[in-house]
Amino acid sequence: MTAGFNWTFPLACLLVGATAVLLCFGALVTTYDAAMAVPDWPATYGHNMFLFPFAEWFYGPWDLFLEHGHRLLGATVGLITLALAAVVWMREPSATVRGLVVAAVLLVMVQGALGGARVLLDDKTVAKVHACTGPLFFAVAVAVAALTGRRGVAGSERPAAFDRSALRVTVALLVAAYVQLVAGAQLRHLDAAAVSPGTFRWLVALHLAGAAAVAALSWAAVPLCWSQQPATRRWALVIAGLVVCQLALGAGAWFVSWGVPSGLLPASWIPTEPLAARSGRGAAIVTGHVVLGMLILGGSVALATAAGLFARPQERGLA
Amino acid sequence: MTFIIMHRRTSHTLAGLAICLTALTGCGKTPPAYFRPNMVEATKQRLTPDQEQQVSTILLAMFGTPDEPVCLPETGLDEAKLRLAAGPVRSDIVGRKNGLYREHCAHCHGVTGDALGPTAAFLNPYPRDYRPGVFKFKSTERADKPTHADLVRVLHKGIPGTSMPSFALLPAAQVEALAEYVKYLSIRGETELALMRAYFELDDDAQGKLPETREFLIDETLAVVADKWKAAADAEIQVPPMPADIDLVASIAKGKELFYGGKANCVKCHGVTGLGDGQANDYDDWNKAIVEIGKELSSGATAAREASTSGMSPEELAEHRGQLAWLEKFGKVLDGDALEPRTIPPRNLRHGIYRGGRRPIDLYYRIHAGINGAPMPAAKGTVPPEDIWHIVNYVRSLPYELDGELGADKPMLAKDRF
Repeated sequence: MTAGFNWTFPLACLLVGATAVLLCFGALVTTYDAAMAVPDWPATYGHNMFLFPFAEWFYGPWDLFLEHGHRLLGATVGLITLALAAVVWMREPSATVRGLVVAAVLLVMVQGALGGARVLLDDKTVAKVHACTGPLFFAVAVAVAALTGRRGVAGSERPAAFDRSALRVTVALLVAAYVQLVAGAQLRHLDAAAVSPGTFRWLVALHLAGAAAVAALSWAAVPLCWSQQPATRRWALVIAGLVVCQLALGAGAWFVSWGVPSGLLPASWIPTEPLAARSGRGAAIVTGHVVLGMLILGGSVALATAAGLFARPQERGLA
Repeated sequence: MTFIIMHRRTSHTLAGLAICLTALTGCGKTPPAYFRPNMVEATKQRLTPDQEQQVSTILLAMFGTPDEPVCLPETGLDEAKLRLAAGPVRSDIVGRKNGLYREHCAHCHGVTGDALGPTAAFLNPYPRDYRPGVFKFKSTERADKPTHADLVRVLHKGIPGTSMPSFALLPAAQVEALAEYVKYLSIRGETELALMRAYFELDDDAQGKLPETREFLIDETLAVVADKWKAAADAEIQVPPMPADIDLVASIAKGKELFYGGKANCVKCHGVTGLGDGQANDYDDWNKAIVEIGKELSSGATAAREASTSGMSPEELAEHRGQLAWLEKFGKVLDGDALEPRTIPPRNLRHGIYRGGRRPIDLYYRIHAGINGAPMPAAKGTVPPEDIWHIVNYVRSLPYELDGELGADKPMLAKDRF
């Protein structure tokens, strides 16, 4: 490590990027129902995970490519987290950052174990928990990056005081974005044998209500954050835009999964061709919806951090 | 340097919330998949818990479980294909996938094929319930089973205008396996229905138990159901080819005449405009069964409420209480095991969306044999084959007919079409 240079922020950014790719792979694994493409864990078809023949993986079946790729990325993210923890422990005096990094290490270990349990037990319930812990880890990684940058703990662009109502709305947005991902995970990891149409109806209602809440909060955050620091303003605008895209993707995900809801559109708008199951376009829309949901969560963490989530109580409400 | 400590209450609240939400998603291990008993029929037939258990035990022996299907030779099914489609989703190192039904179908059609998958309530029309063994879009006569090729075709092409997608992107072997599994679920469901209805015909010597003999279970029950599927292969409708020198304009005019005429009487349901605005308050067989049970329950409940118990003998009182308990149980069963009945609107023929396929021969099959399970009647016997071709030609021309030509006596503006 170069003396004098603090690697915390670059490593945190690397962790955020690697986790985003990992989450993309995870979402694709669910979309293609590829979780059981490798029946053993932590080995891959008897090989040490890292020594599984590259060609057999890279040029192999799509499901194997996704599942083994997800595992390799998971291991990589685990190693980056450990490296970040080491750097933070040596170079970072902030108790908040240290606490978050400890949480990240614990979460990445739990997440790895959950991934293994999902395969070994072939259990959809574990898959659902695994799908909820992933975004949680991502949120923590984003928080570390947000706190260690120029606008972070001791950054040069950090404001002297924060607006209480902006902070409240951004924290509520963060919570709503996570609840949305939890509700979405229930819809994605459907166990046809265990979920009744009535339960599914409630889950859809929860997801739609969550969408309305996230949209309302993200758009309410824009005027509230407008008078804040440039970073807060930027994040509020980015999230408001992402939410618009997310609503469109959500409608698209519904359409490619179940068609046009009857009675919602004029009959003349109903496509004459049936939907194509397992089409690349459909998979991209559904997976994109999940990934964008995670990006909105990450953005909400960055926004809430910029709005003073990790600030001392006395710093809040002074603006 | 200023140390910024995250406000403890906020951090603890957020962490607690995240942990609670995550934990809520997974309380307990997922139970193994099972075939859900047909409780609507069991309750309708007033089966006792012991009888329900006997049916379940027999079905387990004859058909196995969703994870471990049993394929008796009498079913005529291909066990290798069933094993490809059954069980949980998994794939091997060369990409061969198992559990195809659970991957592609079960979320709508249900693990049992009872159309009670999680998403079913959101779909219109509801997904098909395979258990009565009734299929709509086929090349066989109305009462016959579809051929294997019919099922493969529906899977391959999907059903336009519904949520049933096309599985054309799947390898042919996977589509074949899915079609075989649909037959397996249908044979299982029909066998279950036959067993449940057989209690009604038991004599007193049987003491309320079905005979567990090969003769009854295989020869008289399973084979009767399976043979209908086997017979479908040779039951394809023989369609006379459309005359090669047909005058299309004259044929369309003749078809229009038949459409509005009393013999074919298509106008009754599809309406004078062809927009499907004729008689539109009917149900298909699956929904009609639930509607009729609902009516029976409603009238039974009224009668039970109005009955005076004061002059009843102990036996009559016990019977009255039994009736009330049965009504209450049936109400609960309907809540959990049946979806809200929906009417089936006649098809709007001006969209050019034909659920059973758009080829002329598909329309010929629909008109000739009707649509099994739906109010669409068969024209066979009423309309000669060459006239059916005229109706086919007229129906195919409807999406392109000009506004002024709409209907026999009711011109319609374009804005009113949809």
